[in-house]
Amino acid sequence: MKMKKTDIGVVAFMYIVCAYFYYHMLQLKASSQTYPRFTIILLFGLTTLYLVQMIVAAKKHGVESGVDVVFKDFQPKQFFVCLCATILYLICIHFFGFYISTVLFMAVVLLYLRISPLVTAIVIAVIVALIYFAFQKFLGVKLPVGTVIKALRK
Amino acid sequence: MLETLSLMGAGFLNALTPINLLMMAGGVAMGIIIGCMPGLSAAMGVALMLPMTFTMKPETGLIVLGAIYCGAIFGGSISAILIHTPGTPASAATAIEGYQMTLRGQAGKALFTACYASFWGGLLSCISLYFFSPLLAKLTLKFMSAEYFWLSIFGLTIIAGVSSKSIVKGLMSGALGLLISTIGLDPITGVKRFMPSSYFAEGINTTCALIGLFSMSQVFILAEKKIKERNKATKFTDKMSLTREERRIIRPTIFRSWIIGNLIGILPGAGASIACFLGYNTSRQFSKHKEQFGKGSIEGVAGSEAANNAVTGGSLIPTLTLGIPGESVTAVLMGGLVIQGLTPGPELFGKYAPMTYTFFAGFVLVQFFMLGIGLLGCRGFAQISRLSDAILIPCVTVLCFVGSYAIHKNIMDMVVMLVFGILGYLMRKFDLNTAAVVLALILGPIGEKGLRNALRTSRGSISVLFSSVVCWVLIALCIVGILSPLFMGKLEKKAEKEAEENSGADIDQLTEEDSV
Repeated sequence: MKMKKTDIGVVAFMYIVCAYFYYHMLQLKASSQTYPRFTIILLFGLTTLYLVQMIVAAKKHGVESGVDVVFKDFQPKQFFVCLCATILYLICIHFFGFYISTVLFMAVVLLYLRISPLVTAIVIAVIVALIYFAFQKFLGVKLPVGTVIKALRK
Repeated sequence: MLETLSLMGAGFLNALTPINLLMMAGGVAMGIIIGCMPGLSAAMGVALMLPMTFTMKPETGLIVLGAIYCGAIFGGSISAILIHTPGTPASAATAIEGYQMTLRGQAGKALFTACYASFWGGLLSCISLYFFSPLLAKLTLKFMSAEYFWLSIFGLTIIAGVSSKSIVKGLMSGALGLLISTIGLDPITGVKRFMPSSYFAEGINTTCALIGLFSMSQVFILAEKKIKERNKATKFTDKMSLTREERRIIRPTIFRSWIIGNLIGILPGAGASIACFLGYNTSRQFSKHKEQFGKGSIEGVAGSEAANNAVTGGSLIPTLTLGIPGESVTAVLMGGLVIQGLTPGPELFGKYAPMTYTFFAGFVLVQFFMLGIGLLGCRGFAQISRLSDAILIPCVTVLCFVGSYAIHKNIMDMVVMLVFGILGYLMRKFDLNTAAVVLALILGPIGEKGLRNALRTSRGSISVLFSSVVCWVLIALCIVGILSPLFMGKLEKKAEKEAEENSGADIDQLTEEDSV
């Protein structure tokens, strides 16, 4: 099997994680270092082993990009719109509370993904009702109201 | 013996309370819906529903999770039979014969066979759950700190190795999870470790990590692909039943598949997706009607479905007794157990025996609900299975957020869930193993306590980790665990190849769905 260039990113990520944890581990008392040290060494050793495997594979079979396999059929616009909408949804929950943010988020994503307005309205109503009855009524979870809404109420 | 029988009886009485029965029905229906939708998996469904069980009694919560698990494994067969797309990888072999039956106008018969075989497979698997679990749990009474350390390592080697394309990458995922599990206060000295804020004092919230790694990551997987319209579910008019002769024909098949599925389930690291192909192949080997295979054989459907549902009871044995879940779903189930404050092992069969036996009884009753709901609701579930990914994406996202918030009512939990969702997505893209990270988050603290207590009693000498026979047995099992993917991979490939040869179906096409 050829070495995938995309795996270089995986190895780099693992080394960065090891370095980050190692740096912070050194600031701990000696007695608290035992187990983190063990796990850092374990991850470092396995990552190095994988790096060796990659080099051997590159020498034996050559190198391939790997991007075409990893991101086969990838729809960048659709993916990033959904990702950004999700992040914005989280921020909105903090400011405008759960229900307003949920309705907005679902409407935006469903309409963007070409779901008809009628179906969009039905889906939103079903999900909001499900959450209200299952979480708020049945489980007694007080969902976030939002800082803006709280301020307006005052 | 008498004590066990009375516990079993009391378990049934407790399980038969109205709330438990209601939860069983709800859990099974939810599981079937999740299972029959090709974009969702059993592990994802159980992870998503985990927060709902927090406020319930432990036994009720576990019954719900068990019901979702069983329902999802069966639910996968509905879309496999009607739209030729297995809802879960565990139903890939069912699609071969099931869809052929649908083309022949026997969809009702195929669905009945799947439901009937799933029921018997699941029900019979409860026998081993009842009999082997207490015995295996007693074994762990001999475990000391060092043994618990090795046990946690063994659990990781098994799941990390088997569920990944590369053994080293799987182990790397496990090690990454162990490292993440060290975030928070030191369990022995109370020193702050790797904490960006006091929110992380109790470590990473396992439930948020579970929801993120299994459910939110799946949303991103769905969001990156072009939204395709699913095949139209075939409307069937034939009767959903089997003749007496047909039932007689599939009886030995179900029995064989039960044994296969159960053994595969007990074996940590092997799951329902392997069992369904082994069950299917074995049904052909012993069939007197081999010519029907590839053209719509009820024995093929029964063989596959009885085997994958027999895995459910079997896979709970190592999970509940040793704390070693063999696959993603049981890893999530174990998360549910730990979150309820319960530790797998002898305690479950001693101090918490009434709760455990109530769960077992509930698991038996769940099979009856699966049969009833499965048969009555097949037509409706078939339509749900066509639900577009475009609708699933925002719906599952909202449930992930509300689920993670419900635990501690803290918005930071939502942030953690989203971070793990993105991490899980990237891990799946680069063939790392999300199940290993989850398991490491659960087993990490157990392993850490084991290692540090062992070193403390031996005054820092690591020889204590090699001081008993049990330690050496566990070390040997760790080595077997690391090497097992070589064997399991071959076994799965062989079973798939045989199924392909027997039926002429394109197995790769059926198993291409990326589900955790």
